[in-house]
Amino acid sequence: MAGLPRLRSLWRNLAHRDRVDRDLDDEVRGMFDLLVEEKRRSGLTPEQARRAAALEMGQVDVTKARVRDARAGAFVDGVQQDARYGARVLRRNPIFAITAALSLAIGIGATTTIFTVANGLLLRAAPGVAEPNRLVDIVPTMKGHFGLIFTTYGIYLDVRERITTLQDVYAYELEPKPVSLRAPRAASRDGAEGAERVFSGSVTLNYFEALGVPAAAGRVFGAADGEQPGAASLVVLSHDYWVRRFNSDPSVVGRPLQINGQPFVVAGVAREGFRGMSVAAPEVWIPVAADAAQLMTGGRLKPGVSRAQAAAELNAIGRGLARENPNRFGELEWGVAFSSPLPAVVRGVAVAFIGLLMALVAMVLVIACANVAGVLLARATARRREIAVRVTLGAGRARLVRQLLTETALLFVIGGIAGVALARGMTSLLLAALPAFPVPVNLFLPLDGRVLAFAGGLSLVAAVLSGMTPALHASRADVISALKDESQGPSDRLRLRNAFVVAQVAFSILLVVAAGLLGRALGRVTTLEQGFDAQGVDVAAIDLSMAGYTDDTGRVFAREFVERLRRLPGIESATLADRVPGGPLQMEATLRRRGDPSAAGSTESLPAEPPPVPWSANLVEPGYFKTLRIPLVAGRDFNAGDRRGTQPVAIVDESTARRLWPGQEAVGRFLPSVPGRVSAQDPAPRVVVGVARDVAQSGGATKTPALVIYAPLQQVYGPRLTVLARTRQGQRMAREIRALVTAMNPNLPILAAHTLEERQTGPVVVQLRVAALVSGTVGLVGLLLASIGIYGVTAYAIGQRTREIGIRMTLGAQRAEVGWLVLRQGMSLVGIGAAIGLLLASAAGRVLARLLFGLPPLDPVTFGGATLLFAAVGLAACYVPIRRATRISPMEALRYE
Amino acid sequence: MGRDRATLLQGTLDLLILKALAAGELHGLGVSRRIEQITHGTFVVQPGSLFPALHRLEEAGWLTSTWEASENNRRAKYYLLTKAGRKQLGEETAQWNRIAVAIARALEA
Repeated sequence: MAGLPRLRSLWRNLAHRDRVDRDLDDEVRGMFDLLVEEKRRSGLTPEQARRAAALEMGQVDVTKARVRDARAGAFVDGVQQDARYGARVLRRNPIFAITAALSLAIGIGATTTIFTVANGLLLRAAPGVAEPNRLVDIVPTMKGHFGLIFTTYGIYLDVRERITTLQDVYAYELEPKPVSLRAPRAASRDGAEGAERVFSGSVTLNYFEALGVPAAAGRVFGAADGEQPGAASLVVLSHDYWVRRFNSDPSVVGRPLQINGQPFVVAGVAREGFRGMSVAAPEVWIPVAADAAQLMTGGRLKPGVSRAQAAAELNAIGRGLARENPNRFGELEWGVAFSSPLPAVVRGVAVAFIGLLMALVAMVLVIACANVAGVLLARATARRREIAVRVTLGAGRARLVRQLLTETALLFVIGGIAGVALARGMTSLLLAALPAFPVPVNLFLPLDGRVLAFAGGLSLVAAVLSGMTPALHASRADVISALKDESQGPSDRLRLRNAFVVAQVAFSILLVVAAGLLGRALGRVTTLEQGFDAQGVDVAAIDLSMAGYTDDTGRVFAREFVERLRRLPGIESATLADRVPGGPLQMEATLRRRGDPSAAGSTESLPAEPPPVPWSANLVEPGYFKTLRIPLVAGRDFNAGDRRGTQPVAIVDESTARRLWPGQEAVGRFLPSVPGRVSAQDPAPRVVVGVARDVAQSGGATKTPALVIYAPLQQVYGPRLTVLARTRQGQRMAREIRALVTAMNPNLPILAAHTLEERQTGPVVVQLRVAALVSGTVGLVGLLLASIGIYGVTAYAIGQRTREIGIRMTLGAQRAEVGWLVLRQGMSLVGIGAAIGLLLASAAGRVLARLLFGLPPLDPVTFGGATLLFAAVGLAACYVPIRRATRISPMEALRYE
Repeated sequence: MGRDRATLLQGTLDLLILKALAAGELHGLGVSRRIEQITHGTFVVQPGSLFPALHRLEEAGWLTSTWEASENNRRAKYYLLTKAGRKQLGEETAQWNRIAVAIARALEA
């Protein structure tokens, strides 16, 4: 009915408060003048008239207040009043306000940071696409299988032809492949000759159209390029690569390029900001090959279609396909998940990891809230008189609670805003803490509406949670005793504060232990007990197949390359290997024994089906052990005589030797047959010629360490190789290595060049580093907050017990005894909190143990260290209160009231 | 304030203000005097009740106001019934009459 005028006046009241108030003043004064006039006319003297008028007007201020209360927006007014009052109270206690707001900012900031990461990786589609909310990933799963399941090009076509609930079904290869790219002299920016390594993503021809990604120059792939995959030898450049390599030169469109020696033509450049659909960002896109088998598929929901409907149709299609072709579609089940830079198939691991981080930072927020709640409680006690006075003057309980909550909310608004600002900084810090990845990374972590809503909601929930108890407590003030200023507050309030401090200590010791465990694990992975010397070793990755080397020519090239490399000045030793120690361990297969000619008759004594053992092979050129300074404990290194056609040989590590031939000499034994590339190329059983010291296996999460064997590259060939060169003075030789590669074959790109120390960036190490960084930081913050809490509660308790202490001292108590009293009070809280925290930590340690590389969940160093640390912090926090207590003058204390 | 006055029934103040303004625009004191006059002095509205009610009715859209020169040549805020206000007056009058009849019958019974 009268909605509109009310809204209008609400707006006027709030936006033009000054004018509205001035008008009211004028109106009331105008009435007063009229009244005076009226009284004058009835024959009173001016003085009498004024007095009569004033009498009739009543209390003008009350009238005005009542008008304000009647106005629209009176509630808002009240809140503003509360906020103003709250701000004044906070300004009067700057230390309290700053500490509380700061700890909240840290808690909210840390939580928001992790949420920003989760949001960027899991909750929003990759940037640069049109209508991201309708994009979905198509996820095939198989019962009992936890790894990635990819689709093939054939399956993609089958699905795409049949599906009706999705439009624009597209596919791409999840992992961009390093390729060698040669641009003609004129096309490249610096005119540099020679191949360059770029990461290429294979995509279906409708990829860009399906995602709604336009071209920044030239054009993107289109249906016109033909349905036949690989038919069009076109390449689309990413905007970043176009800028970096071609200096944003539009004339690059239509130019020829060579990719792995094959001719391609530049079709165009994709829109700025689009870096592919996953976290691994390709620099160029080429059409997918028809035999592609590692495809991720996705599509766009048709309007009005839900994910469940699409999944149901996919499953129906899958069953139909399985009937037609049981081999290919056996037990696949199909799901549909919203699209995000971490494709649905790999999301599980990331969710678990981010969940762990979130749990860590949420603890900081809990500690911060407990801290603020504790301080608020103490202040509520201090303000009992004020509150009692207000109750006496007629303030309702709801109004009082609102007032106190507004004060808290104000703190949380400040904390929340500072927290979001902090989250910005911490997000970039987190990104900076990540090591250089071998593949360009597509990480877009914006502070979007969702993140802000999260931070806002979190602040609100935290404010209510930590403000409600103190506010309710304060408003329940016992008016009589408060006005009489009895120094002894209700004891349940003190108990509550103690509980908050115990909780703080428990959670922060949990954080510190988690940080310690993760840090120890990280140290173990990166520096300790690696078993080789990573210092001063340059690493370069090459893939001989990119320059067209075959099985035969590749071996010759490898041998010549190593020999020329060794002759370079400054090189102490050099070799080639297809695995880098400390890098991710790839399991070849499981091992089955076969007849061992050196131990006749042993075959029969073995169980028919021995438990499968994971194993890993490294193909190396001679000099591998010398270059990495891995000692050979028996036998010899490979040499020039170990080549194709001679007796197949192998070197095993010590623990492999121990496990295969316990208590016996390994050198001279024949290696059991191993499925996979080593045995496939073996004409005869492989004989062990040497035993090397163990090298730490990363990814140590597996229960059984893998059996490790080394085979000569000349006997078992692999095209993807790593150059390892130990330099004499630890200088970088990357340029010389590159020059040598280019001199020997200009089509062979260096895929990656760094030092072996930098190499240690496997996903496990990255996760550990991030987790250790996060938990270390939050552990420290938690520690600080907890010590403030201990200090606060102890100091407060001393204040409460001043009289008691005074009496004790009058009766002859020594200072030491008083100090002991205070110490016991503070440290008993620390003790209880620490005990609870250590219990929680031992449970958490068991969960973390999966990550911890053989570190026991109850690592004595970490647990002992954390306990000592907290004892020290507790003592430090008690120091000032103890000093204060022992300086109490009995006379003053007794006069205190 | 010595005069004996009937306390205003809840809700009657609004009705009286609307009625007072039915004859034409008035300022605050005018409304007060007019109510006194039409109720033959039974109701005297204090400023502390009058102003909140006037502002509430204005915000409800039943009154509008203008600033004009008053009889003593000062600025005064004059209130005027709106169309919605006139309708509201009709409805409240009808409602009041129903209640008055019902109460009268109840008291006679």
